[in-house]
This record gives sequence, C-alpha cells and structure tokens, in this order.
Amino acid sequence: MIGIVIGIFFIGVALMLAGAVAAGVLRRHAAADRIFNLLVLGGCLTSGAAAVAVLITGTRAAVTVPSSAPGGNWTFALDPLAAVFVATTCFVGACCVAFGTPYLAEERAHRPVWYAHTVFAVLIASLTLVVTAQAVVPFLIAWELMAIGSYLIIVFEDEKADARRAGLIYIVATHTGTLGLFAMFASWGARASDWSFAALAAAAPTLPHHGGVILALAVLGFGFKAGFVPLHFWLPPAHSAAPAHVSGLLSGIVIKTGIYGLLRVVTLLGGSPPLWWGWAMLGIGVVSGVLGVLWALAQHDIKRLLAYHSVENIGIIGIGIGLGSLGATYGHPGIAVLGYAGALLHTVNHALFKSLLFLGSGAVYRATGTRDMEVLGGLAKRLPYTWVAFFIGATAIIGVPPLNGFVSEWLVYVGLFRSAQSRDTLRLAALGVPALALIGALALACFAKVSGVVFLGHARSASARDAREVPRTLLVPMFVLAGACVLLGVAPGFGILAVVDVAATIGGGTPNATPEALQVVRDSAWVSGVALALLALLAAGWLVRRIALRGRVVRAVETWGCGYPLPSPRMQYTASSFAAPLLSTFGRLSGVVETSSASAFHTEPVDLVLDRSAIPAWHWVRRAAMRLRPIQQGRLHIYLLYVMVAVVVLLAYLALASPR
Amino acid sequence: MILSALGSLGALVVAAPVIPGVATKTRALLTGRRGPPLWQPYADLRKLMRKGATYSTTTTWAFRLAPLAVVATTLLASAIVPLDGRRGLVSFTGDAVAFAYLLGLGRFLLVLGALDTGSSFEGMGTSREVSFASLVEPGLFVALVALGVATERLSLTGMFGMELWQRWPVVAPSVILLAVSLFVLMLAECARVPVDDPSTHLELTMIHEVMVLDHSGPDLAFILYANALKMAVFAALILDLIVPRAALGAWGSAAVLVGALIASGIAVGIVESSMARLRMPKVPLFIAGGTALGLFGLILLLQ
Amino acid sequence: MESLSQLLLFLVVFTDFAVLGSSRLSACIRAVALQGLLLGLLPPVLFGSVSLHVLALAVGTVLVKAVVLPAFLRWAIREASVRREVDPLVGYLPSLLLGVIALAASFAVANVLPVRAGYSDLLIPAALVTVVIGLIVLITRAKALTQVVGYLMLENGIYLFGLTQLQRVPFLVEVGVLLDVFVGVFIMGIVVFHINREFDSISAANLTRLHE
Repeated sequence: MIGIVIGIFFIGVALMLAGAVAAGVLRRHAAADRIFNLLVLGGCLTSGAAAVAVLITGTRAAVTVPSSAPGGNWTFALDPLAAVFVATTCFVGACCVAFGTPYLAEERAHRPVWYAHTVFAVLIASLTLVVTAQAVVPFLIAWELMAIGSYLIIVFEDEKADARRAGLIYIVATHTGTLGLFAMFASWGARASDWSFAALAAAAPTLPHHGGVILALAVLGFGFKAGFVPLHFWLPPAHSAAPAHVSGLLSGIVIKTGIYGLLRVVTLLGGSPPLWWGWAMLGIGVVSGVLGVLWALAQHDIKRLLAYHSVENIGIIGIGIGLGSLGATYGHPGIAVLGYAGALLHTVNHALFKSLLFLGSGAVYRATGTRDMEVLGGLAKRLPYTWVAFFIGATAIIGVPPLNGFVSEWLVYVGLFRSAQSRDTLRLAALGVPALALIGALALACFAKVSGVVFLGHARSASARDAREVPRTLLVPMFVLAGACVLLGVAPGFGILAVVDVAATIGGGTPNATPEALQVVRDSAWVSGVALALLALLAAGWLVRRIALRGRVVRAVETWGCGYPLPSPRMQYTASSFAAPLLSTFGRLSGVVETSSASAFHTEPVDLVLDRSAIPAWHWVRRAAMRLRPIQQGRLHIYLLYVMVAVVVLLAYLALASPR
Repeated sequence: MILSALGSLGALVVAAPVIPGVATKTRALLTGRRGPPLWQPYADLRKLMRKGATYSTTTTWAFRLAPLAVVATTLLASAIVPLDGRRGLVSFTGDAVAFAYLLGLGRFLLVLGALDTGSSFEGMGTSREVSFASLVEPGLFVALVALGVATERLSLTGMFGMELWQRWPVVAPSVILLAVSLFVLMLAECARVPVDDPSTHLELTMIHEVMVLDHSGPDLAFILYANALKMAVFAALILDLIVPRAALGAWGSAAVLVGALIASGIAVGIVESSMARLRMPKVPLFIAGGTALGLFGLILLLQ
Repeated sequence: MESLSQLLLFLVVFTDFAVLGSSRLSACIRAVALQGLLLGLLPPVLFGSVSLHVLALAVGTVLVKAVVLPAFLRWAIREASVRREVDPLVGYLPSLLLGVIALAASFAVANVLPVRAGYSDLLIPAALVTVVIGLIVLITRAKALTQVVGYLMLENGIYLFGLTQLQRVPFLVEVGVLLDVFVGVFIMGIVVFHINREFDSISAANLTRLHE
C-alpha cells in the first residue's frame, strides 16, 4: 500500500512535468492551454490525493533510488509533515494554474506565454520534491530548481526595469540563503555516516552546543526563503513584479518551504532545540509580524501590500514555532503541540487566503490595468464577484471568526495563554499575547484600507470607472479557494486533526498523546458552533430588518456631504491618508518618506531594510573599495610590476622560510 | 446553570440601553440641566425601528451588512462572558480570543460599511477608529492574559467567574489595576469621552459617530443598540472583577448586574461632564496609559 | 664539461645584461637570439650524454629560440616600422644597476632555496637572474616589442629552471616550455600587430585608455 501511495505521488509529479513539456512543445497548437491545464491539474490532484492518504492513515511512504552520484542514494518520503505541505501545494497550485492560464492568455501576442507555463509547472513539481526529499543532495537540487524557477518567472515581464531589479535582488537573496544551507548541511553531514536525513538525525546527538550552530545557520538559510525580518527585503519587489497567479504561489507556498525546512531541521535534531533558539524564534516572529503589517499599511501598491503582509503572517508562524520549541524544551508537550499545530495550520491557512487575495489583485489588474490603490475605488459595483471573493479573503486573513484565520491564531493564543500559566521562565511568553493582538489589529486596519479604498466608495479614475468583471474562468479558482477558507473556518476540526498529530511528532512526542491537544480538538466543535451561530444571527438580523422595513419608505439618495453640493471622488480618503494616523504613531519605524512643497505633498513608502540599510551598506562598501581603485592603473607596466613584486616576495619567503 | 446564564444574557440584552440613558441624564444633571428621561434610548430605538431607510446610491451590500454584523457579533461576544458570575453561555478553551476577535469582526464590517459610502467624513472616521482600536486590542489582551495567569483558566468563564473569587485575596492589587485598565479601554472602545464625544455635532471632531453618519432607520437602531450592548458587556466584565456574584442566586446576580449597568452609566456620565475630549494626538497616549496599567498588573502576577 | 657549462651560463647572464643595456631593438633581438642558441647548447653540455633525445632537444631549442622567434620579431619590426627605442621608464644605467642587484640577490637566494642544484651550481642563479631581468625589461620598456623580448627572456629563465627538474619530469618540461614559448610569442605577435593596427603605434602606454 505504501508503495502505491508513493507511486501515485510520483505519477502526479510526472504529470506536472509532462504539462511543462507540453506547454513548450505544443505552443502553437490551438488546444495547448487546455492540454497544459489538464495535465498540471491532473498531476496536482494525483499528488494531492497521495498526500491526503498519508495524512489520513498517518503512515510514511518512502522510496529510495540508488544513485552513483556523490552524496549517496536519493530517498524520497511522504511522511505526515511533508504531506501537509504537499497537499497545500497541490491545492493552491491547481487553483493558481487554473487562474494563470486564462490570465496570461491575453498576452500571447507580445510575450512567450508558453515559457511562463513551463516554468510554473516545473516550479510546482519542484515544490513537491523539496518537501519529500529525504537526503541532502536531492533536497538541495530541488531547492535550487525552485529558486531558479521562481527567478525565471519573476522576470517574466523583463522589459520593465522594476521586474529586472526585483529578479536581481531575489536571486542574490535566495543564493545567500542557499549558501547558509550549504554551510549547515556541510557541517552537519561531516559527522554523519552518509548524506541522508536519517543519518543526519542519527548524528544529531553528537553535535556541539546541542546543534546550536546548525540551528543558527538554518535560521539564516531558511529564514531568507521564509522572509523573516530583516531577511525579507527581496519579498515585496519579487512578489509584486511576478504575474498574479505566480505571486499567489510564491507567497502561498514557496516561502513556506522555509518554514518546512525549519520544522524538518527541528525534527531531525530531536525536537528539543536549545532555549535560546526558541526565544529567538519568538522574538523574530513578533518583530516580523509587527513590522511586516506596519510596512504593509504604508504601501499603496496592492501587490506590495500583500507581499509585506506575507511577512507578517510568516511572523505569526514564527511565533508558533518559537512557542512550540519552547514548550518542548521546557518540558510542556501540550504547549509544544499547540505551538507547532498553530504554526502548521497557519501555514495552510495563509496559503489559502493569501493566494486568493493575490488572484483577486490579479483580477483587479486585469480589469483596470493598474495596481495603484490611489486611483481605484468603487470596484465593488463593477467587479461584484471578484469583490465577494476578495472580501472572503480579507476577512479570513485578519483572523476573525467564522473563517479559517481565526482557527490557527486561536491555537497559537491558547498555547501562549497556557505558557503564561506555567511556573517556569516560560511564562514570559505571556508578552507574546499583546504582540499578537497588536499584529491582528494592525492587519484589520490594513485590510480595511485595501478593501475600502480599492473596492468601495467612488471610482477615483477612468480605469476604475470603466472596469469590467473578469470572465468566469478567472472567478472559479478564486471561489474554490474562498470556499476552502469558509470550510476550514466553519468546520475547523478537519484542519486541526490534520496538523495536531504532525505537531506532536515535531515536538519529539508521539501523536495523540497530549491531553491539551485532545481538548483543542474537542473545543474545535465550539469554534464551529460560534461560526454557525454568527451566520444564524446575521440571517436573523436580516429577517428582522426586512420585517421592520415592510411597508416603509426606502429611498436611495446621494451620500451625505454635510451640505456640500458637488462632492468629487477625489475628495474621498485615499489609502495613504487612511493609514496616516496609525503610521504616525509608529514614527520613523513605518518607513514613510514625506516630500512636501508649498503646492504639493507626496508620501512614499521605503523599505527600511533594503533602502535604508542594505543599499547604503553596499554603497559604503563600494566607496571603500574605490579607495583601492588606484591599484588598477590601466598601465601594463604597473601590472607587470605587481607580478614581479609577487615573484620577489615569494622567492624571499621561500628563502627565509626554508629549513636551511 | 444554563438557565441562569440565559437569564443573565436576557437581562443584559434588555437592560443594555440603560447605560447611555443614565449617562446622558447624569451629565445633564451635573451641568445644571434636566436632561432627557432615563428611558430615552428605548424611545429612540422604537422610533428608529418604525422609520423607513435611506440608502446612499454609492453603497453596496457591505453597507447593509454592517449593522447586522455589529449586533450579531456583540450579542455572540456577550454570550461568552459569564454574565451571571458563574458561567458563560458559550465556554471553551481560549474563548477569550473569540470574544475579542468577534468584536474585531464587528468593527471591521462597520468600517467597510462606512468606507462604502465614499464620503470623506466616513473615511476620516474609519481611519481614526482603526488607529485607536489597534492600540486598544493589545490592552484588552493584556488584561485577558493577566486574568488567565491569575486564575489559571483559559476561558472567560474561569477568568471572570468563581475561580477569580477563590484567588481574590492573593491577586487583589493586580485585579484592581486590571479593572481600571478595562474601564479606560471601555471608554476607548465604546467611543466615550475622553476618546470621542458622542454628543458632538461637528463631523470633523467625530470618530465613531461619523462612521455611522449615513445609516438610518432600523440600521441606525441596530448600531446604537450594539454600542450600548458593548458598553454593557464591558460593564459586566468590570463588575465581575470587583464584586463576587457567585454566592448570589440567579435573581440576585441579575439584579446586581442591572445595578452595575446603572452604576457604570453614572460613572461614564461623571467622566464625561468633568473632562473635555482629548486632542487627537493625545488619545494614543491615553490608551497606552490604560494598557500600561494592565501591563503593570500582569507583571505583578508573573512574579 | 663543468667549465663549458659554466661558460655557457655565464654567457647567458651576459646576454641578459646586453638586452638590459642596449637601446636599439635589433640589438636586443640579436642578444636574445644568442641567448636562445646558448640555451639550446646547454642540455648536451650539462648531461654529458649525446643521446638522440638530447640532441633533438638541443636542435629544436636552437631552431625555435635562436632562429624562428628572432626572425618573427624582425619581421614585426619591419611591419611596424620601428627603429629606435624611446626612453624607457627607468633609465639604462639604473636598469643595469637593478640587474646587478638582481644578480647578487639570485646568488644569495639560490643558496637557500630548497631546490637541488642538479647539474651545475650556476644553473639556479642564472635562471633566477634571467627571470628577474626579463621582468624588469617587461616592466620598464615602453615599446610592446621590447616587452616581447623581455617575455622571451622570462621564458628562457623558466626553461633554465626547468632544466634542474629534468630528472624527475623528463618530457613534460620540454614540451611545456617549448609550447609555452611558442604560444606566448604567437599571442604576443598577434597583440603587437593588433596594437599596431588599432592605435597606429606600438606604444603600450596607449593601453591605459582601456582601463575602465
């Protein structure tokens, strides 16, 4: 049975790759798009089914391919941890592909669209391979494939300068992270018998400082990919330059491979990382969460805002991981399960609603031709279905009942509350609760801004006034994702059951052993009840209003303008002004630069890490290097002089250092 | 048990509009006027429910959803609070989070409804509302986690119920601090002086009032009622921190609850007539002050 | 044989100084041709045996270093119409002084280098001084063709050094050195001609315009 499962998984991967090839080979064919869609969706369905089977049965399906390449055999395994990621990848990937094919179809005339499809399918396949690889070499190969694939598709619109810049920053950042991973695996594998993850796990007890160096390198390497502050600076340019469905996959899945890597390293090291690491993750999570959403609040480009918001959600996941690790090390398995389960469930949830929001932004872009919030508005009337889908995504992401965001944040909160009640130093984690609350409240402000400014009110420009609803082929994937958000919110038991066992294994325990986990599973019925009660109350209220208004006069008039007769759409609050009070409370930390003159006022958000730290540091290094410029004279004689000086110095060294 | 919880919820639902009425009357009396009768809010609600509605042409279903959502979320949130001093109608691990986030959902949908009108006044109101609410949420959670530490319970039922009274002698100083903190947060959350003045008529100075400028008829009734209900819920929370009601019977605790609503109305009225509204830039400091009190209480408990 | 090899090596050093001190390009080429001849004669003299292998090596070296390359260089002179050398960056007398210092240093260093002297005590100092003087010529002369001469001297010095390792790596040194010389001069020739065509002169100072 196990063999069948892993076989089905690989059949799925093969179908995806076949789709990639088909997109290229059949590019002039009339039915190329349909064939590509069919193959990739079929592949996602197949691999996803295998993953779900593993989740339901809790088994581990592995296969080993003997390889004569250096690094030993290649092992792939679908264990429950990988299955969570594979299932999410396949579901979100399928929706993004279904959206992307008609989305890009309009650009056939001036761009090689087949190339985007091919790279995208390879990207999805590599994502599934990254989480199932169980040896260092196939892991790194799949990792690089994923990185290069992402780069190739980020620079898809390469005639735009900001797309090229985004690709450059991305490739530098991802390879710096990969360098960290190389260092980590090299120092770890040196103590292991071979390069498989099982051997690494066996060698874990021999690591110095309880694996401290390994964990630090893991945070560096995987942190770059995940997007923790301050390693996040590549995220906003990259996710806003890529096409919408690609951004959905990037934010939804690709950055989660960083989370997967951290969880896998923790599992291989035995589940109880040193204390400093847990506190560090908690701190990094809090900082990433607060700063991510603050910077998101400052943006006025929809996709950049969503990208910064992904940083915030990665921060919440980081809080969950830190909590889980602290729980495990302090000896509270219940808290460990809650923390890891919250992190895992939030990974899944975020994949769902962030990709939904990105697809929505893609629909908006397709309808209006712009991503700038300041010139949109009133799209709820022009794009009613897109607005419903986006609304569900926005309500989900701020973490309120009755949708799925609430469930994962609830798990993390319960874990933090429990840790506050413990008797040891762990109770300092109580300070994470107001931090998480601040993050949630700022997220509410952020998405009130996006939804309100983009979809509600009056249209601020002609492109918004003349927007037309996108075709149904683009709406269906959005509603599938929205339906998943609603389902996981109203019936959270499914999600919680899926992650609780995995969380227990990460914390070094056995599945289903902790009473706290069982209680949470039981209480998920209450959460479900709250969600349903809410919907029932809304329906009841609607009924009451209907009855009250029966027979009364209901009129439609202009909005109250305080007696002013000619209000114009430009008088509405803009996105920047909506966020201004909140951003000014945080001062310079919000990264907003004001330029004002006697007749003009302009605010621009800058990235504190990229524009204020990394780039100035780079300029400083260049200036210091320019001081060495005179060495490069351009005159042949000087270069030859350098050669001769080198020869003479070497001879002198040889002469002086020789034993005679 | 369920019956007493249901009864208290019913009492709260019925008696909630008492608070704005008492507050207005207190304010009037303290400033030398007679003021409207105590039951004026009830009369207002009745009048509004019998009116027709006017909807702006700019609005969509978000505007029509907002009043329903505010009432539904506040009602559901109040079901989580142990209104009879013993047990909330809805009680599960971590329902404190659900409490806070339900109120957040209500606020989110109200904000969307306001932005739906496309008016710059509503935009201004929502902008201020979300910025102040972002500072209130952490304060509220500080109080909740502090109570969680004090009572070693994870549900509002435990945090505000019998377990709190069993530990009162030990944790009294912190709980008093938390009660004051909650009062400050209540003023911020329910848009009373010194954060917002409910009786101002200048749109430029409003926060909560201006968000609901375009609602009329039953919608406005829902919103006014939901606001009163939210104040009543906070009053009940503060009551639970100060007065032990577990020993009283069902009728006794309901009577004390109504008495607390009246008392909080009087307190709000006194504050409103003795203070002016704070300038906008000072409001974050005020809220941060309330949060700091709560943090102080939390730190005392963590020792 | 010992004294003959010493004489040859002494003459090699003498040709080094001849190149260093002469201002005329044709004199430099003649000196380096003589050096090549001497270098070709060295292996039979050093080894003592006159096997076919050694003879072939000698003949080949003489052909390449003393006949072909100088002819190539003279042809280059005619093509570029160069006669006189312009003033070098370091004057002739200071160059000679540098050469003498290099000679003294070579002798001093050769004694302490962890390399076996091999066939003659003068071999390593001669090699070192040829290398250094070749470098000096490369650095201090302005004309590209003179720099080619300096490079050739550098190669000769390396060849001399290689002779000390002949026992260990017999074939490799010969092939490497000859190929090295061949390739080096070939590239230099192309460069010289291209410089000649592009900039209408064979002054290396014009290369500075490329430094960005």
